Amino acid sequence: MIVFEHVGKRYGGRSEALADINFRVGRGEMLFLTGHSGAGKSSLLRLIMRLEKPSRGRVLVAGHDLDRFHLSQIPYYRRQIGVVFQDHQLLFDRSVFANVALPLEIQGVEPRESARRVRAALDKVGLLYRETALPIELSSGERQRIGIARAVVNKPSLLLADEPTGNLDPQLSTDIMRLFEDFNRIGTTVMVASHDLALITRLRHRVLRLREGRLVGDEEAT
Amino acid sequence: MTRRTTSPESQRPARRGARASQVGLESRTRAWLRHHRAMWLDSAQRLAKRPLSSLLTMLAIAIALVLPSGLWLALDSARLLDAELDESATVTVYLDTRLDERAAMDVAARLRDQAPVAGARLVTAAEGLAEFQQGVGLEDALASLEDNPLPAAVVVTPADTDPDSVRVLASNLEAVDGVDEARVDLAWLERLRRLAELGQRLALALAGLFGLGVLLVVGNTIRLAVESRRQEIEVVTLIGATHAFVRRPFLYSGAWYGLGGGVLAIVLLVLGGHWLSAPVTALAESYGAHFTLPRLGLKGSVLLCFCSTLLGWLGAWLAVGRHLADIKPR
Repeated sequence: MIVFEHVGKRYGGRSEALADINFRVGRGEMLFLTGHSGAGKSSLLRLIMRLEKPSRGRVLVAGHDLDRFHLSQIPYYRRQIGVVFQDHQLLFDRSVFANVALPLEIQGVEPRESARRVRAALDKVGLLYRETALPIELSSGERQRIGIARAVVNKPSLLLADEPTGNLDPQLSTDIMRLFEDFNRIGTTVMVASHDLALITRLRHRVLRLREGRLVGDEEAT
Repeated sequence: MTRRTTSPESQRPARRGARASQVGLESRTRAWLRHHRAMWLDSAQRLAKRPLSSLLTMLAIAIALVLPSGLWLALDSARLLDAELDESATVTVYLDTRLDERAAMDVAARLRDQAPVAGARLVTAAEGLAEFQQGVGLEDALASLEDNPLPAAVVVTPADTDPDSVRVLASNLEAVDGVDEARVDLAWLERLRRLAELGQRLALALAGLFGLGVLLVVGNTIRLAVESRRQEIEVVTLIGATHAFVRRPFLYSGAWYGLGGGVLAIVLLVLGGHWLSAPVTALAESYGAHFTLPRLGLKGSVLLCFCSTLLGWLGAWLAVGRHLADIKPR
C-alpha cells in the first residue's frame, strides 16, 4: 500500500528532516510511527498525503508514484486517504453532521446517500446522537471521534492519524485506538503517528521508529 | 488483504467505483450543479449575515460605477443633440437687398435646383423682419425705421451634412446670381463634436479606472473573506477539494457584491437624474430647446448589472487565486 524508497526530505538549508527512509506497508496493515517530536513523523505523513514532495527518493501509495501526479490530480488522490489530526481540524461554524459530511460534499455525493453514510460513520464512533451539535459543545474526546468519523466517512483505503491522542487522557486514548483497530479489521490500512509509547506497546502492532529523521527501528507486530 | 475481499464492507468501494464510471459524467454534472446552487445560496446568506458591511462594500462599488456610467449617459444625450444639430446644419444665403420679392423667389428656385441641396426655404425681407422683432423684442425701435433693412434670405438645407462638403456648397451658392453672401457657421458644431469625442474618451478612461477600482474593492473584501475562512480552506484542501471547489463560494460572493453594487448604482443614477432634471430642463428651455435627461432604460440597467457582476466575479477570482497560493495546509 505504501512504499518508501530512499526517501529524503530537506527544508530549505536546514539539516535533513528525513534521510534515506525505506519501508513497505502492506494492504490492510496497521502500524504505528513513533519517535520524539521533531523526529520526522509529521514530515513523513505529509509526504504520504502529498502535501510535500520528497527531496530524494520515491514515495508510492497504492501503486502510484506520488511524484508523477499532476497538480490537478492531487485532490482526487487525497480523497482516497482519511486523515485524523491531533487538533481534529473541525470547522466550528457548522454542525457535527455537516463536518462529517464535508468529504462527501467535496466528492459530490448525492445528499441522501451522503446523509446515510454520515450517520453510519457517526454511529461507528458512537456519536450519532450528537449530529446536530456544534463542535464547540463537544468534549475534546468527542471532537477527536468526530474527526475520525470525518476521516472514514468516504471509506478510504488508507487512514492516517497524526498524534490522534495527543490531548486525551489514557482511557480516551485507548478508546480512540480501539476505533482505529475496528477500521483496520474491515480492511483499511491504518498508520498512526504517536509518541505515546506506553499505549503503542500495549497494542502490539507493527512499529516504525524514527530518530532525527532516520528510520531506526521496524518492529513487527507481536 | 484476504480480509478485504471477504468483508462485505470492503466490497463496497469496488462496486461504487463501477457504478461511478457508468454514470460518471451525469452524476458529476449533477454534483457540480448542486454545489453551484449550494454556494450561490451560501454566499448570499453570508452577505446577508453582515448586512451593513456588505452594503458598504456594494455602495463603494456603486459609487465607482456611477461616475463613468453617468458621464456615458450625458454623452449619449449629447449625441442625440448632435443628431438634431446635424439636421440644422443649414446654409443661410442672403440675397441682394435690391431684389424684390418675385426676383427673390426666382433665385430661391434656382438655388433649390443646385445638386447637393436637399431643400431651400425663402425667408422674405418682411418675414425676416417679423422674426427678428419677435426674437429680439426691439419692436419699437424697428418700427421707427422707414425701410426694412433686412435682405431676403434663403435657408438651404444641404443634402450632405459633412462640414467640408457644406463649405464647398456654400461657396458654390455664393456664385449664383443675385446672391450676396452665403453664411455657414460650422465651427461651433465641430467644436461640439470634438468636445463630445473628448467626453467619450474621458468616460472610457474613467470606466477603466473605476472598473479597476471595483476590482480592488471586491478583491480586498474577498481577501478578507479568504483570510477569515483560512482554516476551512486548509481543511477542505487536505481532504481532497479541488481549487475550483475552494474558489467557488468566493466567486459567488464577488458576483453578489458586483450585482448589489450595480443595482445600487442604478438607484443612484435614477435619484441623480431626478435631482438634476429640473435645472437641466430649465436650462434647455432658456435656450429654446427641449431636452430631458436620458434614462438608463431596461437595456442599460441590465448591461450595467451584468458588467458590475462580471467585475465582482473577476475581482474575486483574482483575489482568491492570489491568496489560495499562500494558503498551504500546515
